[in-house]
Amino acid sequence: MAVIKTRDLTYTYPGATKASIKDVSITIEKGEFVVLTGPSGCGKTTLCRCFNGLIPLFYGGKLEGEVVVAGCKVVEHSIYELARHVGLVFQNPENQLFALSVEKDVAFGLENLAVSRDEMRKRVDWALQITGIEDLSERSPHELSGGQQQRVAIACVLAMQPDVMILDEPTSFLDPVGAQKIFEVINELNKELGITVILVEHRLDLASKYANHVIVMDEGKVVLDGEPRGVFNSEKARLIGVGVPKATRLYQILGENGIRLGRVPVTSEEAASLLREVLKRD
Amino acid sequence: MSMFEGFRFRRVSSVIHRLDPRVKFFFVCVLFVTAILFSKLPPLILLFFVPLPFVLAAGVQREWIRSMRGALFFAVIIFLFNFVFTYFSTQYPQLPSASLLERSLAMTLRFLVLVESFSVFFLTTSPDHLGLALEQSHVPYEFCFAFTTAVRFVPVLADEAQTIMDAQKARGLELERGNFLKRVRNYIPILIPLIVGAIRRSLELAEAMESRAWGASEKRTNLYVLKLKNADYLLAFGSVLMLIFAVYVWRYVPVPTLITLLRL
Ligand SMILES: Nc1ncnc2c1ncn2[C@@H]1O[C@H](COP(=O)(O)OP(=O)(O)OP(=O)(O)O)[C@@H](O)[C@H]1O
Ligand SMILES: [Mg+2]
Repeated sequence: MAVIKTRDLTYTYPGATKASIKDVSITIEKGEFVVLTGPSGCGKTTLCRCFNGLIPLFYGGKLEGEVVVAGCKVVEHSIYELARHVGLVFQNPENQLFALSVEKDVAFGLENLAVSRDEMRKRVDWALQITGIEDLSERSPHELSGGQQQRVAIACVLAMQPDVMILDEPTSFLDPVGAQKIFEVINELNKELGITVILVEHRLDLASKYANHVIVMDEGKVVLDGEPRGVFNSEKARLIGVGVPKATRLYQILGENGIRLGRVPVTSEEAASLLREVLKRD
Repeated sequence: MSMFEGFRFRRVSSVIHRLDPRVKFFFVCVLFVTAILFSKLPPLILLFFVPLPFVLAAGVQREWIRSMRGALFFAVIIFLFNFVFTYFSTQYPQLPSASLLERSLAMTLRFLVLVESFSVFFLTTSPDHLGLALEQSHVPYEFCFAFTTAVRFVPVLADEAQTIMDAQKARGLELERGNFLKRVRNYIPILIPLIVGAIRRSLELAEAMESRAWGASEKRTNLYVLKLKNADYLLAFGSVLMLIFAVYVWRYVPVPTLITLLRL
């Protein structure tokens, strides 16, 4: 069942002369882990804003085509109605935390939805525990590191128990180890709670092993859309300048030199085991 | 940025910090009213000592002394103003007398009591507690939210201001140059990026609020509730007693000046 479906989606920001996304038609199934990638300025963030109604309600501008999210046509609903279904974690964690303590911030969405206090307490504790920040609950956001803020931002959205979570470059302020940890949290949400995840990311080396659907955009258009191995291995991905995982790149280079591995690897572990097979064969 | 240090609340906990902010505010108001009722020195001296146990119990002596030191400058001005003004405005200029001195001192002390009670309140009430109290006093949620968010972003903006200042200085901006007007103008290259940054930040904030169902229901719920505890009832009761006593004394007891007291 599709949770998100767009048809010929085209959007122009108010005052802009050129559309930021053009003719986007994609389908995202329930429970998928989608990685959305593409060069800077290609319209990834813009597309995410279309999924929870910020576009067109908050931004205005001209929207053509159709977006349906969790069975709701986006243009027919207010942002707060969509917020029950879609959670959006923004690029900059600092500006999405506005309470004086972590706990209060995580509760913000639930307070707005008028969830009862007992239920709220339960959900806040649950979200803090899953994201591994229980011990930070009393701190103020200013006293947290970038990685911790990032986790709080995820917890804030998670507490609202959305069907779909969209994370816009949630690791842009983190080192690789911190990024890895965040990806693991996201993966857990996807695999154990069945939340559909859309992850906007440049660092495909780390992120792609969790994905089962990759969408590549360029200049406002979707240029590749499919399962990770096929997408990463295509010539097009490399030409656009997508940071194809090194393991996949290695596969291609070996192929050019006449060494064929059994299948397309995405992670270095996979590449290593495939190489071992080849070495044994020779 | 020492200027903003005072806004940076520290999460401390004491009996006083845990008191209900509404009751504490009522207590401060009683102190206020009492200070306004009396214009003689002896009751004001007594009044000055009333908040001191609170300061000590809360363990905020250091901050309290700092804020009183800040008020000292104004206190001196108020004293001089009263002294000189009353001296020249009497119809038959007398020599500066002891009673004139006492009256000016009383005015000054009244000001200090007002500052003191306010600072005790703000030093022992965390902003989120205060925001919560506002919310539960039926202040529209938008105002409470604006208040807590402003407090949240003060340290962030202070850091940003520092960064911009360093960056502009590195490009050769000289802040401490020239006469007064020139110096004010020197701050423009710091203010503009700061304001632009704040506007961008506020847009991102609005976006994040919308995405988390801002405005979804008329009647929001709240993670916390303020409940009056025994200590709160005690303080409220004490404040009422103090108010009654003060009004009674003011109405029926002739309050002596310090001079007559000393002469006895
Ligand atoms: N608020 C806005 N108003 C007008 N134009 C905008 C706005 N936000 C983005 N754009 C434009 O839309 C295009 C797509 O931007 P978008 O932010 O979606 O890219 P992105 O893929 O998220 O890039 P990045 O990887 O740098 O975050 C860009 O050309 C940008 O200039
Ligand atoms: Mg972006």
